[in-house]
Amino acid sequence: MLPAAAEKIEQGNSLWLDAWLRLRKNHLAVFGLGALIAIGLACLVGPWLSTHGYEEQNLELGAAGPSRAHWLGTDTLGRDLLVRLLTGGRVSLGVGLAATFVALTIGVVFGAVAGFFGGKLDIIMMRTVDIMYSLPFMVFVILLMVFFGRNIILLFVAIGAVEWLTMARIVRSQVMATKRMEFIEAARSLGFGRRRIIFRHILPNILGPIIVYTTLTIPGVMLLEAFLSFLGLGVQPPMSSWGVLIKDGAEKMEEYSWLLIFPGAMFSLTLFSLNFLGDGLRDALDVRSSKD
Amino acid sequence: MLTRLPRFVAVLAALLLSPACRQPKSAVETAGTTASPKVATASAPATAGGNQKKILNYGNGAEPADLDFQIVTGTPEHRLALTFFEGLINEDPQLKIIPGVAEKWEISPDGLVYTFRLRADARWSNGDPVTADDFVQSYRRMIGPTLGAEYSYMLWHVVGAEDFNKGKLSDFNQTGFKAPDARTLVLTLRQPTPFLLHAMNHYAWFPLHIPTLKKFGAMDRKSTPWSRPESFVGNGPYALKEWRANQKIIAVRSPTYWDHAAVKIDEIHFFPIELADTEERMFRTGQLHITNEVPLSKIPVYQRDQPGNIRIDPYNGIYFYRFNAKRKPFDDVRVRRALALSIDRETLVKKVTLAGEIPAYDFTPPDLVGFVSRHAFKADLTEAKRLLAEAGFPGGKGFPKVELLYNTLEKHRTIAEALQQMWRKNLGIDITLYNQEWKVYLDSQHSKNYQFERAGWIADYVDPHVFFDIWETDGGNNDTNWGNRDYDRLLRSALDAKSTADRYEIYQQLEKILVDEMPIMPIYFYMRARLVSPKVKGYFTTPLDNFPWKYADMEN
Repeated sequence: MLPAAAEKIEQGNSLWLDAWLRLRKNHLAVFGLGALIAIGLACLVGPWLSTHGYEEQNLELGAAGPSRAHWLGTDTLGRDLLVRLLTGGRVSLGVGLAATFVALTIGVVFGAVAGFFGGKLDIIMMRTVDIMYSLPFMVFVILLMVFFGRNIILLFVAIGAVEWLTMARIVRSQVMATKRMEFIEAARSLGFGRRRIIFRHILPNILGPIIVYTTLTIPGVMLLEAFLSFLGLGVQPPMSSWGVLIKDGAEKMEEYSWLLIFPGAMFSLTLFSLNFLGDGLRDALDVRSSKD
Repeated sequence: MLTRLPRFVAVLAALLLSPACRQPKSAVETAGTTASPKVATASAPATAGGNQKKILNYGNGAEPADLDFQIVTGTPEHRLALTFFEGLINEDPQLKIIPGVAEKWEISPDGLVYTFRLRADARWSNGDPVTADDFVQSYRRMIGPTLGAEYSYMLWHVVGAEDFNKGKLSDFNQTGFKAPDARTLVLTLRQPTPFLLHAMNHYAWFPLHIPTLKKFGAMDRKSTPWSRPESFVGNGPYALKEWRANQKIIAVRSPTYWDHAAVKIDEIHFFPIELADTEERMFRTGQLHITNEVPLSKIPVYQRDQPGNIRIDPYNGIYFYRFNAKRKPFDDVRVRRALALSIDRETLVKKVTLAGEIPAYDFTPPDLVGFVSRHAFKADLTEAKRLLAEAGFPGGKGFPKVELLYNTLEKHRTIAEALQQMWRKNLGIDITLYNQEWKVYLDSQHSKNYQFERAGWIADYVDPHVFFDIWETDGGNNDTNWGNRDYDRLLRSALDAKSTADRYEIYQQLEKILVDEMPIMPIYFYMRARLVSPKVKGYFTTPLDNFPWKYADMEN
């Protein structure tokens, strides 16, 4: 323990402070957190600072490599790649975070309730999940589009509404394992309510798998967004997203390599950072790991 | 002219890849999609046996829907039809009419009666002679009301054919198809049709081996096994040897073809590859000698590094945006004109499409068999802004939400993005883009469920008529909701014109109407880019993209 903490030993640290102290010692995780914050800020602020617009074309220029005017070069329509990359980042990160948040919220609550109460309720809830699993995702998305029209918000909803299923299963199995442990018995015997037991005692103990799965979900969702955009159900030109940029770049990589390299590097960096951070968070939040 | 049946022709969609889609009829372009390449193990090219066989590996774009050529519509099928069959006449590489199964023919002075004399040595691939009755029976099947051949309208020039096709006439003997003896065929037309011979080099006019068809079921049944390799009978320069679904079709030189001495390549292997990138890779490794397409971004690279391997030739078609004249704001001709006048086609073809396409300011490809439009419009931004203001949207203010539909393909999206930006900058209007997969897109188009959309049209034969008759009111391929009675009247009178000059004069008036009303917005006239190995001699793309095989050769 840190000396500062040691001096006021009787006060004890909260779960979150403990976790933060542990996380700080994990260099890769700190790097990931820093990179994510930097990328997020750049995407948020960058397009405002640039003199180019993401849809502003220069057909005469066409595809040109990195230069002083265009730091990352331009695409075949002469659009500045840096601005398109940052603008696309807003879409990709936005979709990734929003859909994952939706999936996380629904999935955790649903899974925890099913796992904790068990019995008939569990059967009904999990069969519902099974049925939703069997719905073809594309059909579901197309149905949404037919009813509500093309809309990027719906994309979040559609993806989130599908991604929570796996999360619910994982959480349920973890809850079922955890609820038989002695400290839960202790909590019950102290008369705590079910809600308090689920959210204060069980969930913190299963944060590990949840976080790992979340960090896997975000990149998956970002790829899904690219796929939907390609089919015409996601973002529409001239708006960009990382998936769209990478797909374009892959088609032209032999001639205009920068169109693939920069978006690819940005995407990879984001995914690595997410994984490092997820890894670090899992270790940091694991209440069962020994407090050295 | 006749048609209002759905002929699907040309719509073309996309260029590069084609999904499951056959390109509709004469349509030529294929639509692209994400379909995975079905390349299958490409057989090692060449050299079998001691005396090297000349084998040509040809990228044919897509798997043919069938080899019963009366019921298909795409360009991959068209090339195969010209391989396995020959009609009454043929065309040389310059598209000049030359004798085919008919060694000579006479046209009556009024242009209504065509008498063909069939050559004595014309043979089917099973050795039977090709007779005039084969042709008549084939035509009878083609226009039979129960077969439902999409291209049957190609034969409507003949007396009674349209009525027979629509079931209004039940006695085939009353139509103008007659075979007085085994080697004489007489066609009586309802109107002089100056381009008839050119139109006859289309598979709708090709003969079928009637006894074979009858052996495998009723004449009006589609997809009977007669068109399988075991039973297939043709009369063209090549015979069908093997058809491995989604892998390749093998055509071998036919010893029974009357002009077989002129055919130089021993075997042609047709590969149904839909992805241009896959084709390009196979070309590089020598597995293909001729590709169907060239990936857009590779065109400049080949032009720079290997100019001898890429060929870019004129292609008889137009790339355009179609307006739905019943949807706001495109019900207003001023809006349609404003959009058409305000884009920079030169920069688009030079910087985006890259194959040397010709910017389109009228509705027929330039110098099409001597027809040059006098009524071409000009890009004129001032006029465009004035028109838009007049229509009630000065500076683009208040312009309604407008969506442009394109079929899913990289090239179409790139073009649409470029134009979208031009309109925003030049007129201040915002356009939303959306895409649909090829078949869904065709469906939206035919049901007119769109505001405006990209489209293309490729000629079935070389004559300006083919670019005018699609805009006839309610024509099967019009799909714009636009119609004009004067236009229809003039169009019909064109075929009665006394001379080509008179006929072209009528087309000039049609051009004028189209330019004034702008039911579609021309963008550019196609060019066809292909990779062709230097080993192939004498092959190039004709404006119809159907090169006669007997003129091609290969070097060992």
